[in-house]
Amino acid sequence: MIGRFLHSLNLLLGTLILVVFIFVVGLYFWLNQDLPQLPNNLQQINLSLPTEIYSSDGERIKILGERRPVVLGDISPYFTKAIISVEDSRFYGHSGIDHRGLIRALLTNLRNKRISQGGSTITQQLSKNLFFSFERNWLRKIKELLIAFQLEVTFNKSQILEAYCNQIYFGSGAYGVEEAAQIYFKKRAKDLTLLQAALLAGLPNSPNNTNPFLHYEKAMQRTKYVLNRMVSENFISIEESESALQSNIDLVNPQVASDPNLYFVAQVLNQLERNYGKEFVHFGGLKILTTLDTRYQKLALRAARNHLEALENRIVKERGTGPLQVALVAIENKSGAVRAMLGGRDYSYSQFNRAVSNNRLPGSSFKPFVYFTAMEELGYSPATVLMDEPLTIDIPGSAPWSPMNFNKEFAGNTVLKKALMKSINVISAKLVNEVGPEKVIRMVRKFGIKSPMGKNLSLALGTSGLSAYELASAYSVIANLGVYNEPYLIQHIDDFQGNRLYEHYYQGVQQFLPESLYPLLNMMQGVIKGGTGQVVRRMGFRHPAGGKTGTTNNFKDAWFNGFTKDISASVWVGFDNYQSMMSKSGKGLTGASAAAPIWVHFMQKVLEGKSPVNFPVPEKIKFASVDVQTGYLAQEFSPETIRVAVKEDVNLSLPPVLSNDPEKDEAGFLPDPVAINKPQNSIIPNNKNVVPDP
Amino acid sequence: MLVVLSAFLFLEFYANLFEQSVGYYLKWQNHQRPQLGRMWERDRQSLVAQAKIKSIRSSLDLQRETALGITSFKHLFEGLSPGFPLIISREKFIQLYFDFPGQWSERIISSYDLIDLDSGKNWDRVFLKRFGPWITLQFIDRQNIPLHELFLSIDTLFEVQATRTVKRGTLEDADIPKNRIFSISEFLPVLKSLDAITQKAVFPEARWFLGKDYHVTRVGISALPNGESAQHMLLGIEYNTDYYTGTLLIPVAVELANNMMSQIEKTDLSDLSAEGTLFSSGESP
Repeated sequence: MIGRFLHSLNLLLGTLILVVFIFVVGLYFWLNQDLPQLPNNLQQINLSLPTEIYSSDGERIKILGERRPVVLGDISPYFTKAIISVEDSRFYGHSGIDHRGLIRALLTNLRNKRISQGGSTITQQLSKNLFFSFERNWLRKIKELLIAFQLEVTFNKSQILEAYCNQIYFGSGAYGVEEAAQIYFKKRAKDLTLLQAALLAGLPNSPNNTNPFLHYEKAMQRTKYVLNRMVSENFISIEESESALQSNIDLVNPQVASDPNLYFVAQVLNQLERNYGKEFVHFGGLKILTTLDTRYQKLALRAARNHLEALENRIVKERGTGPLQVALVAIENKSGAVRAMLGGRDYSYSQFNRAVSNNRLPGSSFKPFVYFTAMEELGYSPATVLMDEPLTIDIPGSAPWSPMNFNKEFAGNTVLKKALMKSINVISAKLVNEVGPEKVIRMVRKFGIKSPMGKNLSLALGTSGLSAYELASAYSVIANLGVYNEPYLIQHIDDFQGNRLYEHYYQGVQQFLPESLYPLLNMMQGVIKGGTGQVVRRMGFRHPAGGKTGTTNNFKDAWFNGFTKDISASVWVGFDNYQSMMSKSGKGLTGASAAAPIWVHFMQKVLEGKSPVNFPVPEKIKFASVDVQTGYLAQEFSPETIRVAVKEDVNLSLPPVLSNDPEKDEAGFLPDPVAINKPQNSIIPNNKNVVPDP
Repeated sequence: MLVVLSAFLFLEFYANLFEQSVGYYLKWQNHQRPQLGRMWERDRQSLVAQAKIKSIRSSLDLQRETALGITSFKHLFEGLSPGFPLIISREKFIQLYFDFPGQWSERIISSYDLIDLDSGKNWDRVFLKRFGPWITLQFIDRQNIPLHELFLSIDTLFEVQATRTVKRGTLEDADIPKNRIFSISEFLPVLKSLDAITQKAVFPEARWFLGKDYHVTRVGISALPNGESAQHMLLGIEYNTDYYTGTLLIPVAVELANNMMSQIEKTDLSDLSAEGTLFSSGESP
C-alpha cells in the first residue's frame, strides 16, 4: 500500500517536475529574443556625458543627463545599510530572488487579483532600471527576474549595490545617491549622517510621496520606518536610532521649482532638437553658451510677479480662470541676442511658452508698422495731416467697416505724430485703407515678423496674432534705425573636448535707410513723452526711449513694446482663456496700466547705473515744431504745436497762397486762415496745399 | 523521484541552485542576445550623438581647410555664394591682402586702416557673406563681435576677376602668340623707362616674385582680337617655380601695350642692326 502510494507520488512528482521543466524551458525559449544582453562592466552604464547649458554671464543654467557615479567606498555605510534594510534585507544571501519576499508578494497579488506588491530585490530593481519599462505585468517581471539571475552570477554583490546606488531615483530630479545627497543636503554621499542616510534610503520606494521638500511629515515617518528596519536588521542599535532622530536633518532649502530660466532653456532645447536631433542634444555631452543674461531674467521675473500680484488684487476673475499670465522678451539691439525670455508667470505651473508660442492680437502695438508703410509708400511724414472723424469703409462682399476710437471721440485734423501718440484708430484705419493691407504685410516681413497676417483693413488695429518675441525683434529694427538682426538664443556650442561645433555670427541687414526710420522712432519717443505710453515717464524712467502701447477689444490683451538705444523689450499681459481684464471698479486694464509698468520696472533695473544713451540722428533729418492741425511750421497763432523729425526734403513751410494780404472771394469772405499740410489723396476735397516730398 | 525533489529543494534553499543554473546559462548565452533595453538605447543614442558631432566636425574641418587653401582674393570672392558665408583667419586675410600682385587690395581696405584695426589686438577673423548685390566683410573678434564692417559691390568681384590673375602654364598656354613673347631682359629696359605710376599699373612689386622664389623668365603681350574694340590687352609675365610654370596676367590699356610692344621691337631691331643681321619683316617696302 505504502509502496503503491510512494510510487504514485513519485510518478506525480516526476510528472510535475517534467511539466515545470518543460514550462521553464519553453518560457525561456519564448522570451529568449526579448532578453537583453548584459554589458561587460556595470560602470559602463554611466558613461554618457551630460550636456551643460550656460548663460552669457557664465552661470550653468541647466544640465541634461547628469550622472554623478561614485564608487561604493564613497557612499556612507549608513546609507548602504539603510537601503539594504528597507529594500532587500536578505541582499547578501540570495541569488537574485528572495523566496520569502516573493511568496509574500505572490500571495498578496493573488489576493488582490492585481500586481500591488513587488517584493523585488535590489538586483531585480537594478535589472528593471537598466533594461525594462516601468509597466507592471507578469511577463516583464519574469524577464526582470531572469536578468537578475544573470546579474548575480556575473557581478559580485558590491558591484551590484554600487550600480544600484548610482542608478536609483530619489525624486526632485536626482538620480543616484551622490546627486540626491547634493540636492537634499548639499553634501557628498560619503558624508551623510545616519538620519540623512535613512531619509534618502526611504525615498526610492515612493520618490514623490515621501519627497521631503513636498511632504516633510511623510518623509520623516518613512525615515523612522527605515531606522526601525535598521535596528531590526541589527545594523544599528536602538540608542543610535533614537540619537539620530534627535539630531538635525539639515535639509537645504528646495531649489525653486519655477526656475526663471526654464522658459528660455526649453526654447533653446526645442531649437537644438529641431536642428540637430534629440540625441545630439541629450547625449552629446555638449557645452552650450546661450545669450541669456540671468540678471535680466531675474529682473524680468521680479517685475512681472510684483505687478501681476498687484493687478490680481484689483481685477475681477471668473471662476476656473487661471492666474493672470505674462510674456516678456528682451533683445539686445546691436546683435539680436535674446537677453531675457519669460514665457509665463511660473514654469512649474505652466510650461507653455507665451513669449514665442502664444500669438495674441497686438492691438495698437502694430500701428507703428502701418504708419511707417504709409510714410514709405505714400510719402507721408509725421507732419502729414489726416482727419480724425467718423469713418465707414465699404468692403466689397462684406458689411461696411466703421472703426471707432478708444475714447469714442474724434480729434479732427491731426498730424500723424500726434495720431500715433494718441493711438487714434480712425487714422490708422485710413492709412491702411490708402496704402492697402498687402503693402503693410510686405513691410512687416522686412521687420522680421513671420506670423501669418490677415489681408484685411482691420490689420490697422492689430488683428493678426503676434508673439512678444516677434514684436521685440521688430521693434529692435526701429531702435537700430533700420538694421535687422535675426534674434538668436545660442552663442556657440562646443563638444566635450572643447571643439567648436557651432557659433553665431552677427548678420545684420540694413532693411531701411536710417533717415526713413528715424521719423518713426521720433514719433514713438512722442508716445512715451506725451501719448498713451506717458506712464513710462510718470514712473520715473529717464532714459531716451520709444514705445507703443496695445490693448485689444474687451481688454483681453495688454501690451507694451518699447526700446532704448541698446535694448528692445516686449511685454504682454492677459489670461490664457481670453477673459477680459476688468478692474473691480469696472475699468478695463490697458497696455499702459497692465503691461507698461512691468516694462518700466524691468528696464529701470536693467539700466541701473548706466548713463542715458541718445539715439543717433541720421544725416538728412531735420527737426521742426509744427502746428498739430495744419502740419505746417508752427506760427504765433498756432493753438497746439508739436515737434517732429522729418526728412530734410519735406517742405513744412506755409504755401504761398497764405500771403499776408489774402484776397477776398466772390462773396467777400476771406479764405480759411490756416492751410493744411495734407496728402493729395486725402478725403478732404479740393485741397491744394503742399504735399510733403516723398 | 522524491529523493531527487528533496535534494533539489534542499540545494535550492541552501545554494540557490535554480537561480545559479539559469544565471550561468544566461551568462553563457549572453553574447547571442540582442542589445535591448533602456541602457543599450541610451548607448545607441549616445552613439548617434557622437556620429552627429563627428559629421559636424568633419564638415567644419573641411571648411577650415578650404579657407586655408584659398590662394587669392579672386578665389575667395568666387567661392562666396548667397547663404554660404565664409570665415577666414586674420593671418589668411593678411596673406591674401599682401599677396595680391598689385595695388587692388587697397581698394578693399587701406593698409593704414588695417593697422588701425589691428592695434586693438582683438581682430581675429574675417567673416564674408554675399547678400544681394553686396559682399559684406566683417572683421570680427574672438567673440564674433564685428570690429569693422565694410561692403563691396558685387561689381568688385568682376573687377577682381578682370584684374590680375594667376594661371598655371606658359605664356603660350595663356594664348599669347609666340611672336609677341620676349625674354624678361628684353622687357625690363622698357619697364624701367616708364613713369612710376605706369610701372605699378603694369607690373607688380618685385617682392611679389622674389619673396616667393618665382623666377621671371619671359613676358608677352596678347594680340588685339580682330574686329573688336577692346580697351585692354593682357600683359603676361611667365615665371618658374620649383614645381611648375605660372603666368601672371595683367590687363593693360591698348595704347600702353602697343607702346611697349613698339619699344621692345625697336630695342630688338636696334640690337639686331648693331649685330648687322637685320631680318625682313616679310612685308614689301
